[in-house]
Amino acid sequence: MPDTAPSEFDPTGYIDERPGVFRVHRSVFLDPALFEREMERIFGRSWIYLCHESQIRAHGAYVATTIGRQPVFVIRQADGSIKAFLNACAHRGAALTARRSGTARTITCRYHGWSYAADGRCVMIRAEEGFHGSAIERASVSLAAVPRVATYKGFVFGCLDAAVDPLDEFLGDARAFIDLMADQSEQGMEILKGESVYMMRANWKLQTENSTDGYHVATVHRSFGTALSFRDSLLGTGADDPMKKTEAARILTLDKIVSGAYTLRNGHMINWSTRGMPEAVPLHERRARLEAVHGAEKVRWMIDRGRTVTIFPNLLLNDMASTCIRIWRPIAVDLTEIETWCLAPIGESAAARRARIRKYEDFFFPASLAVPDDVAAMEGAHAGSQASAHVWNDLALGRATMIAGADEAARALGVEPLTSNPGRESETAFDGFYREWRRRLAS
Amino acid sequence: MVPVDRAVAAEVEAIVAREAFLLDTRRWADWLALYADDAIFWVPAWASDDGFTTDPDNNVSLMYMDKAGLEARVFRIESADSWATEPLPFTAHLVTSVLVTATRGAELEASAAWLVRSFARTRGATLRGGRYDYVFRRAPDGLRIARKTVYVHDDRIVGALDVYNI
Ligand code: FES
Ligand SMILES: [Fe+2]
Repeated sequence: MPDTAPSEFDPTGYIDERPGVFRVHRSVFLDPALFEREMERIFGRSWIYLCHESQIRAHGAYVATTIGRQPVFVIRQADGSIKAFLNACAHRGAALTARRSGTARTITCRYHGWSYAADGRCVMIRAEEGFHGSAIERASVSLAAVPRVATYKGFVFGCLDAAVDPLDEFLGDARAFIDLMADQSEQGMEILKGESVYMMRANWKLQTENSTDGYHVATVHRSFGTALSFRDSLLGTGADDPMKKTEAARILTLDKIVSGAYTLRNGHMINWSTRGMPEAVPLHERRARLEAVHGAEKVRWMIDRGRTVTIFPNLLLNDMASTCIRIWRPIAVDLTEIETWCLAPIGESAAARRARIRKYEDFFFPASLAVPDDVAAMEGAHAGSQASAHVWNDLALGRATMIAGADEAARALGVEPLTSNPGRESETAFDGFYREWRRRLAS
Repeated sequence: MVPVDRAVAAEVEAIVAREAFLLDTRRWADWLALYADDAIFWVPAWASDDGFTTDPDNNVSLMYMDKAGLEARVFRIESADSWATEPLPFTAHLVTSVLVTATRGAELEASAAWLVRSFARTRGATLRGGRYDYVFRRAPDGLRIARKTVYVHDDRIVGALDVYNI
């Protein structure tokens, strides 16, 4: 940290919180010193999503990613467990994996040839026995491990802080919502092949907000709604396959749809809405089987309601238009890299798989009919934050309808949110994120 | 490579250039008319650092559309309601090294290299490139595009990627 020692740092001024008021100062998107503090206190100490287990099934299979700005890779061990390491050679720091993913039971650094086993032990120092003479004991060097790695139902997280609370505690009530995606097949879930990475010229927290924001959908995605209703109309009445249809048109009447939003403990946020046409959902074919295993109420949450589950600070599980995992990697205060994956139930029918993929392509990439408009919205919000004559974002919507604790739908799932709101077109879920953000910055 | 009649090669080069021209000059209806009614427009995604997805039924693509999908894209452009394309960027398609790679009956395959420079004042210039693989089908009044595969080499996509800027 440059000039803000922990004792001097006071993040309280960024949030204006009074009865009936919740405002966030726009400098939170712009201040480079604050960004450095976030990298240290949030990304350096929180559980951060690394990958899905299905991406690294075999011994030595790895995926490279970042925790904050730190490059790391996650790798499957000989005994089936999962470890993660800083993606830097123990010798002089060269990055070890040029690729985003691959398989390497022995990882050899391209710089001077040191080699490591998948468990991080250095197994070879080139020329160590030769005339060079080395003062290094091979046995004493190994890759720097990410001190904590844990998995919840296939979702692998890592934390750079060895003293962090267990992952299960951190996820808390969010686990019930993760289950709604993770439990869609008794054979497990898998990431589908096909990478999608894109850039946003905006602060990472704008993606955290946008991922949960039910309020922008009817405006920013109006164009998605009208274009897809037009396409649906070309299918004609003879369209035999309900999964070919979309629910895009409902975006235009979101205020009339039964929906809700929750703030969970530890900064996680949920928003959901009732689907009008559950038979258009690829999971619908598994309904009877899922009900036998999980009961009608949980399956109602799985199939009849679309959900966004935003896990603090930079993970989204979206089961609205299709099933998507999204992370956003902070690069700089005004630059963010976003990556998404399609997660699918193993064993679904070929028709459901195809429909899931087409619906994913409709929405979840900068080549889609929706995400480019989200990126424009977030970049627009970032650009507008430079206007210093008005410095507060007023997260006012839904203050009057918000209640403390669980509503009926949350109780049916067995979760106890901090607050519930009977409408996804509300901004109250953000309170929980920003309070957690402030708490961690101050800690 | 297949031996190809010069007239056929010229015909293929002409339709490839015409598609680029129609996109760059925003003649959307004429552009759509180049495509057969059962056409497929496919943009594979990266499968790894070494290659692209090969199976659109089981892998995620950047786009995989039938003609109704293309028509929806044009509908979206013309409705001018997408924040990402306010304003729509100017584009210049540079399509070159056009080569007929196979002929079979009424169908022809061809491949070409492409670069597209887009410019909008809001976002500045972007440059992307890759390869087109075409399947053309002979209709009474000339060639139609039965299938177009667009390989986009660029990763970490900046701004919107749409039918007019690839
Ligand atoms: S930096 Fe890796 S062997 Fe020298
Ligand atoms: Fe959105």
